[in-house]
Amino acid sequence: MNIGLSFKGDVAIMKIDGIINSENAHLFQERLSEVYNSDAKTLELDLFECRNISSTGIGKLLLFYKDFIGRNGEIEVVRSSNSVYELFSMLKLNQLFTVNLG
Amino acid sequence: MDKINLLIVDDSISILSSLSKILELSGYEVDIAHNGSEALRKLQNKTFDLVICDIEMPGITGLDFLKKVRDNYGDSIDVILMTGYLDQDYFIKAIRLGASDFIQKPIDANNIIRAIESTIQRKKEHNNVREFYRHLDKTDLTIIINPAHFSKYSISKVFAQSLQSNFKLPPDLLNEILICIDEMVYNAFIHGTLKLKPSERFLSRQGFQDLLTDKLTDPQIANRRIRFSFVIDAVNGMLEMEVEDDGDGFEHELWLKGLEDNPGREVLEYGRGISLLFHLSDSMKFSKQGRCLRIKKDISGYLTDAIFPS
Repeated sequence: MNIGLSFKGDVAIMKIDGIINSENAHLFQERLSEVYNSDAKTLELDLFECRNISSTGIGKLLLFYKDFIGRNGEIEVVRSSNSVYELFSMLKLNQLFTVNLG
Repeated sequence: MDKINLLIVDDSISILSSLSKILELSGYEVDIAHNGSEALRKLQNKTFDLVICDIEMPGITGLDFLKKVRDNYGDSIDVILMTGYLDQDYFIKAIRLGASDFIQKPIDANNIIRAIESTIQRKKEHNNVREFYRHLDKTDLTIIINPAHFSKYSISKVFAQSLQSNFKLPPDLLNEILICIDEMVYNAFIHGTLKLKPSERFLSRQGFQDLLTDKLTDPQIANRRIRFSFVIDAVNGMLEMEVEDDGDGFEHELWLKGLEDNPGREVLEYGRGISLLFHLSDSMKFSKQGRCLRIKKDISGYLTDAIFPS
């Protein structure tokens, strides 16, 4: 699993490829913490090459979501793979933030 | 015997066109990708026997592509690299990353066919193990995990390597299986074995390691075990996975009913792992007061050439 993170103004752009599972979810948490500790107001997540996310990874994202919206931040999944889109829909995460398919 | 599936990756349309014509005339089934990103997408959706990839491409280079293939698929996909020049550094990097062979540009038809044939031959020799599994009615792997050693190894990687070596699983199915294994074993570890509170699950990595060390000094926890079994029932076209821990279990009947009524409920609070398993499996059954979970997945649609290739 690889995570790319860059900033453009107050937008953080995170691109993930591979699978987020219980063994590497802490890396995802660390990159999310970087976003939280930055001046970013929006997190754009590119999950097009992310093939799946385990519940531990979802947990890290939700924990970040709670903190980030607490300081008026916004999350958008700008692209997602079929499996991630299906997963986010099933878990109703698309009711919390915009989730776009590939 | 099925045709050998090749994927050619090059940013040059003329090379893609001429090479695919040569290889199709030689009896191969050929698909093309114009860059590394497109090739990675194609690998997610279809199983290829071999990829032939240019090294010098804009965006994802051949070496980047090879690294991503190794990260995502282990050694299960052979990659032959094409290059206009064989720079020593590139060559060494590519060898380290596990390139199967190199083809010098401009491409000579006989050379590339020889490289493909010898790579496929090596793959076939390796695949003798797959032939063995192909003729089994049932494959059953059961492991018993000592929690003291759980975090030293990656269960997903162990199973990914084993499944990729012994079976030819379509990428989507393999991903789903690996996520199921991760969910089942990890939940048995943090809930059934360690009995972690929600707040303890979101500690930093170091904080979690410290907590783990502390918990494992308690003999009651250290003596617990996680039993996991993975069964491919080829006769009935079913994949079965079962996990059992030595914890206290939980109110599984109530939970399962709520889950069936509303699969995405209370996603912000707890139960995401079970929701995910419910979503990815065809049947889910708890026993032993919730300490034991068995899921089944119908794989009858994959049981011919996909999993057990001829």
